[in-house]
Amino acid sequence: MRSRLPVLRDRKRYIAFELESEGSVRSGDLIREIYASQVSLFGDMGASKNRIKLITFNGGFGLVRCSHRRVLECRAVLATVRAVGRNRVAIRVRGVSGTIKTATEKYIPQPILQAVDDERRIDLGLVSGSVARIRKKEIDLSPDDKKITEGSGTQYVGLTYFDLCGGDTNADGTSDGV
Amino acid sequence: MSYYECDVRSLPEGSDSPSRLALVARRLGYSGMIICNRATNGPLFGAGATEKIDKIDVARGVELVASSPRTLHSRTAALRSRFDFLAACGGPERIDRAACEDPNVDLLLHPQERGKRLGITAAKAARDNQVTIGIDLGPMIHLRGSTRIKWAETVHQDLKLIRKFDLGLMITTGPKSHLDLRAPREMIALARMVGLEDYEAEEALRLPERILGLNRRRWASPGVEML
Repeated sequence: MRSRLPVLRDRKRYIAFELESEGSVRSGDLIREIYASQVSLFGDMGASKNRIKLITFNGGFGLVRCSHRRVLECRAVLATVRAVGRNRVAIRVRGVSGTIKTATEKYIPQPILQAVDDERRIDLGLVSGSVARIRKKEIDLSPDDKKITEGSGTQYVGLTYFDLCGGDTNADGTSDGV
Repeated sequence: MSYYECDVRSLPEGSDSPSRLALVARRLGYSGMIICNRATNGPLFGAGATEKIDKIDVARGVELVASSPRTLHSRTAALRSRFDFLAACGGPERIDRAACEDPNVDLLLHPQERGKRLGITAAKAARDNQVTIGIDLGPMIHLRGSTRIKWAETVHQDLKLIRKFDLGLMITTGPKSHLDLRAPREMIALARMVGLEDYEAEEALRLPERILGLNRRRWASPGVEML
């Protein structure tokens, strides 16, 4: 039995996003945070019009469904998500599409985040600490002096390969100094 | 489509190096950003590394915090030649007004803090001296509940004045970390929530580039420009 007439079915959009976070985030916590910021931004009645629902989330990339008239509002909701639990996060919208298939094919690539197992140290005078993770040329550094990140509420200091060139004493032979 | 993020804080004020912020900003779709650390917070960490990152323009600016109009004027005069971009941190009405009356100031930041509105005299002075007003959308991301409501009320009032006097407008999230940076389209969506039209928000993201272009001109003598 068909539950609804096809003409009465709502049109939808699927927003593919990437979650940048400092630690691992579970999908249940993420959707709770998205709902909380949605209600905070629009109130109960406004939020009901967005029809936001988390379709998939694998820890890095995910899909959110929303009403096709409220894509901009949903972008604003995703942009206001600041932290999940104690993890600072940022949701980056990668694209919007009309079907799950195209959204997945076009906008959700293979993960490129690289966790670092062995403890590599960086000492640059003002900042020193151990490398937490690397993503292409971007490095997250767990600082020895936690005061340095106090103002921004983050856990890691964000650096790049370009900051390290030449000056590192613990270089393992590579020219970029990591 | 050359969007700029006009008020980025890097190490030691924020928690990210300028090059990390530049890489993330480029990935998000910005064509430039202006680092506006406070002058009192010590030298910038790793400023040279940003030159190795192509396809993004990283400009050095400075944010001034002054306790009296007199110190504000003397600091702007001293720092104008050293930086491409001068932002003044507002707050008390007399500081807002002093910043708007100083043609050396490019941007007046944070007048919405603690429920403080922009005054009419300050707005008129800003129009005469071509000072742009910055709206910091950071509270939209960081705050919830009643404090955010008060902030939004102040922004609505400021927007009325900005439209009435046709003032230049910039929007930023005041990022202190790459996690605070938001892509231009998200900025437009956030700006729409506080009552800006889409075209106004786009124009606000493009304005920093125009002002940097004007500030970077080199003058051989009054009226003679080096090309």
